[in-house]
Amino acid sequence: MNLSVQQFRTKAEQELLDLYTKAEKTLPGAGNPFVADLREKALATYARLGLPHRRIEAWKYTDLRAHLEDVYPLATPRGAAIGANELEAALGKAIADFSAYRLVIVEGELRDDLSDISALKDAGAVIVSLAEALESPPEWLKQTLSKAGPREDDAVFALNTALMTGGVILRLPKGLTLDKPIHLIHLDGTGDPATMVTRNVIMAEEGASATVLESYGGLGMTGLQRNAVTEIEIGDKAAIHHIKFQREAVETTHLGIWLATIGADARYDAFQVSTGALLGRNQIYVGFDGEGSSTDVSGACLMRGRQHSDTTLVVEHRVPSCVSRELFKVVLDDHARGIFQGKVIVAPDAQKTDGKQMANALLLSETAEFDSKPELEIFADDVVCGHGATSGQMDEDLLFYLESRGLPEAEARAMLIQAFVGETFECVDNEALREAFAGVSADWLGVQVE
Amino acid sequence: MPAVQDTVERVKEIDVDQYKYGFVTDIESVTAPKGLNEDIVRFISAKKDEPEWLLEWRLEAFKRWLTMQEPEWANVQYPKIDFQDLYYYSAPKSTEGPKSLDDVDPDLLETYKKLGIPLREQEVLAGVQGAPKVAVDAVFDSVSVVTTFKEELAKAGVIFCSISEAVKNHPEMVKRYLGSVVPSTDNFYATLNSAVFSDGSFVYVPEGVRCPMELSTYFRINAEQTGQFERTLIIADKGAYVSYLEGCTAPMRDENQLHAAVVELVALEDAEIKYSTVQNWYPGNKDGKGGIFNFVTKRGDCRGDRSKISWTQVETGSAITWKYPSCILRGDGSRGEFYSIAISNGYQQIDSGTKMIHLGKNTSSRIISKGIAAGHSNNTYRGLVSAHRRASNARNFSVCDSLLIGDKCGAHTVPYLEAKNASATFEHEATTSKISDDQLFYCLSRGLSEEEAVALIVNGFVRDVLQHLPMEFMAETQKLISISLEGSVG
Repeated sequence: MNLSVQQFRTKAEQELLDLYTKAEKTLPGAGNPFVADLREKALATYARLGLPHRRIEAWKYTDLRAHLEDVYPLATPRGAAIGANELEAALGKAIADFSAYRLVIVEGELRDDLSDISALKDAGAVIVSLAEALESPPEWLKQTLSKAGPREDDAVFALNTALMTGGVILRLPKGLTLDKPIHLIHLDGTGDPATMVTRNVIMAEEGASATVLESYGGLGMTGLQRNAVTEIEIGDKAAIHHIKFQREAVETTHLGIWLATIGADARYDAFQVSTGALLGRNQIYVGFDGEGSSTDVSGACLMRGRQHSDTTLVVEHRVPSCVSRELFKVVLDDHARGIFQGKVIVAPDAQKTDGKQMANALLLSETAEFDSKPELEIFADDVVCGHGATSGQMDEDLLFYLESRGLPEAEARAMLIQAFVGETFECVDNEALREAFAGVSADWLGVQVE
Repeated sequence: MPAVQDTVERVKEIDVDQYKYGFVTDIESVTAPKGLNEDIVRFISAKKDEPEWLLEWRLEAFKRWLTMQEPEWANVQYPKIDFQDLYYYSAPKSTEGPKSLDDVDPDLLETYKKLGIPLREQEVLAGVQGAPKVAVDAVFDSVSVVTTFKEELAKAGVIFCSISEAVKNHPEMVKRYLGSVVPSTDNFYATLNSAVFSDGSFVYVPEGVRCPMELSTYFRINAEQTGQFERTLIIADKGAYVSYLEGCTAPMRDENQLHAAVVELVALEDAEIKYSTVQNWYPGNKDGKGGIFNFVTKRGDCRGDRSKISWTQVETGSAITWKYPSCILRGDGSRGEFYSIAISNGYQQIDSGTKMIHLGKNTSSRIISKGIAAGHSNNTYRGLVSAHRRASNARNFSVCDSLLIGDKCGAHTVPYLEAKNASATFEHEATTSKISDDQLFYCLSRGLSEEEAVALIVNGFVRDVLQHLPMEFMAETQKLISISLEGSVG
């Protein structure tokens, strides 16, 4: 099959190559042979694959090549002034006020002045900015960055590797449990449209545990193309709660990838809430490398206007006796389009696997569209796997019941929508975040919460 | 329990390598030279004495086919097919249509006897009042040799004949409907079929008529290295009803055989078509050598309001199955159903499923798919349910269950759901599991042997679908299931 061979390059595809050529010498780690080689290889992968389009099965419903007409230049840090007001405007009050170790990445750069780096260090974590780490990457980071996996056949991942400029490298030493969650705040900037390519690497050593919130918001930049990758390595008996909140401006193109590998008897819980971006694609890859571990990957997305939100998930059971759970809820209004693709792979030896997956969509308007592809690929016999998917409009009976109890229609609708997405919030361990997300859904609906 | 006992006994009789229907009947065939080019297409058309328009249609399809690429998206692996190394036409030598069964080549009758087609019995049956009647249009390789019950069907106004006959006797109808559901440009194999189709069945049930009997085609691939390109066209006029049965077996041999059939169903207003298949082609030997390649395009068009098309299939044979019987729910209030049992053992590969395309208002569809994978086989369900903008109140309910027997096989589920209409309600559910130890233990504790227990549990697993098969097929299917799973336990 010659589908992956490029017949010709679109303007955007060429511009992305040019971005690299132009920035090559100034990208972090340019002087380090390992990093330079890594970037070259990744660029070659991208050049071979081109931008994904709908003939690529995993991108069937999100034609990135058609969507991306122009490529914005790489962001240049200008040191935008950011105070409590800016944060609140970008993320909403509840998330902005979330009590945590803050790490703030603005215009593709980790800002020391806004981040609690020393406090985190005092708490026992090893933390360094990506830019600094790439100048002379430690051995473990080299290994992580050059692992096999989606980075070899995912053009978006490859582009990230070729162009990554900002982010944090965080290492939780053996047995460390942080007293507060970590809040990674990603903001755009205020100037002209730009491309931001960030990479975070989180490594939890044996027995370590932490809650990590990643939030993405806008300061009013006139256009943003974001490519954000977070790699998570979870050691034996370690636990990471990983949460993402994305409410970027509605012109934004947001491409996010989470890549997690889980050791033995460990736990990884991932949760994502999206209300922003014109085109958003969240890819989550979870792989089990040790027995007796579990993962819960869930999320909600609330879309309206002409927003397009794609969640693509691959859970790979490579070893026996692991448990995976997925629950996604999608609410779509106006002309919004929601996509859920979930794939559970059970390798030949991964006996005693328990995998369950569910995706539900609620369509609020005649013109909304939901496409779903929940896949099971199973090569072991002693497994219990299942998936479900539903799509429909609001249940008129429920609505009637609430109205018969004296609730006005709008309020009754809002209540039902909140209940629909609210089910996913139960997956969040942190109470403050659970409440914050209830607030997010209320905001989206335009109702007051008591 | 007697049925189970029966299946178990049959399992004992049959060894994996002793495929029950593996024999070759030696009849002289008129065969076109190997390979495919425009001349072969002309040769086939001329052999069948076809009108100019059909030849043109074939040639156009052939030209189109030359520009197409073999699809590779299915989850199946096989050596590339050399399309120039196949025979595209082979007909039994006695081409003058026999007047009765007595005129039929005795060798041929012997073949049918081995297959268990009760042609003679049916003549007897026909005289029995109230007995179920089945009309058989037996296809021997490429040309319909004998058609029974024609007269009784004619009385009801039902046309049931081979496509070639239909082209001669009802050209206006063939011209109107051929390629209207599966266009000749549809996909690689459908286009190939359009260019070189040999023969097949044609059914027309007139307005308001309930077809008085179940129609049935048994066909087998016989001459070595002959691809069989069947073309079936069934039209149910307003308010008509027809149930069509298709069952197939093929002789054992080493070389892979290509089978690329096209089935088109058209249901006009208030019409109903029930299409049942039991497919038991040679799956290859225990090392995965040989076996049939089954690349079939089956599609039904619910063209009229309140029409209904129901597909029921039992897939136990073929080395590779690539088949998606679909329903286009065009008429308002139309309904599509798909019931499937797909069993793979040995090195079989199945990539099968359905498409329910909701175009009209208040359309509904139901999918029940049961996949059973054993041995080294791979069994994929791939299905699409889509509701278009206009399809308000579309409803779909899908269940896809897979059962794994043994740790060398794979079961995959790839459903696509596309809702472009808010009032469309889709529900999809899928599970994959092995036979539960508890169930097995319970059966064993009741004194069943392990094989009996597995046969019992599997028959229970597929019961939802079995119920939708016509009576004639149910018993046969139960036997097939146990034969197909032979050697998968212990």
